[in-house]
Amino acid sequence: MDTSFEEKSVWVQLVGLVVGLGSYLVVAGLMVSNGVSALPAFVPVFAVAIALVVAINIAGHVVAAVASQSVEADERDRLIACRAESQSSWILGVGVIGAIMALILSVSGVWVAHLLLISLFGSEVAKGALQIVHYRRGI
Amino acid sequence: MARSRTSVRNQIRTLRFHHGEMTQQQLADQIGVTRQTVNAIEGGKYSPSLEVAFRISHVFDKPLEEVFQFAGASG
Repeated sequence: MDTSFEEKSVWVQLVGLVVGLGSYLVVAGLMVSNGVSALPAFVPVFAVAIALVVAINIAGHVVAAVASQSVEADERDRLIACRAESQSSWILGVGVIGAIMALILSVSGVWVAHLLLISLFGSEVAKGALQIVHYRRGI
Repeated sequence: MARSRTSVRNQIRTLRFHHGEMTQQQLADQIGVTRQTVNAIEGGKYSPSLEVAFRISHVFDKPLEEVFQFAGASG
């Protein structure tokens, strides 16, 4: 596949997010279903997930840089990133509004925090997926 | 050849051929974009900014309208 460094970078970030935060959400879902409701209990799992995301990103970007002739973004990369962001940011917005509504309704902090996290995760994954679509199909 | 997604057509492939089989990478280096972006412009998957369009026409020493044509233009 003929890809620029920026497109490879998007793939790396997407894989890092899906593997790292996706794993966290699976584990957190199991913890919630087992009755864990204290936020501090989730912190170690979240820290491991973030470390996994960072490790995947570092390793992936090193490989992408070695496999690419240039690591500089050009106007097409910037336009694609900007358009994908504008098309996906509503997901985070919905999550924030939902979290505010949940706070008004006195929903547990665990649910509010995870609603925010899921909306951030969904927004970033959608952004990455849209960037790949724009790179492949044209813009 | 990939189906064009933009209304702007171009003669870049032909002009590269007439400039000593200039490669996409050589053109990309001269206009300050990646080779993949030159490929996307040639394939009609991306309409470049006016600045990059002018840079391309400058490289080939041709007027802009000889390099790019608006497919939706009438009469």
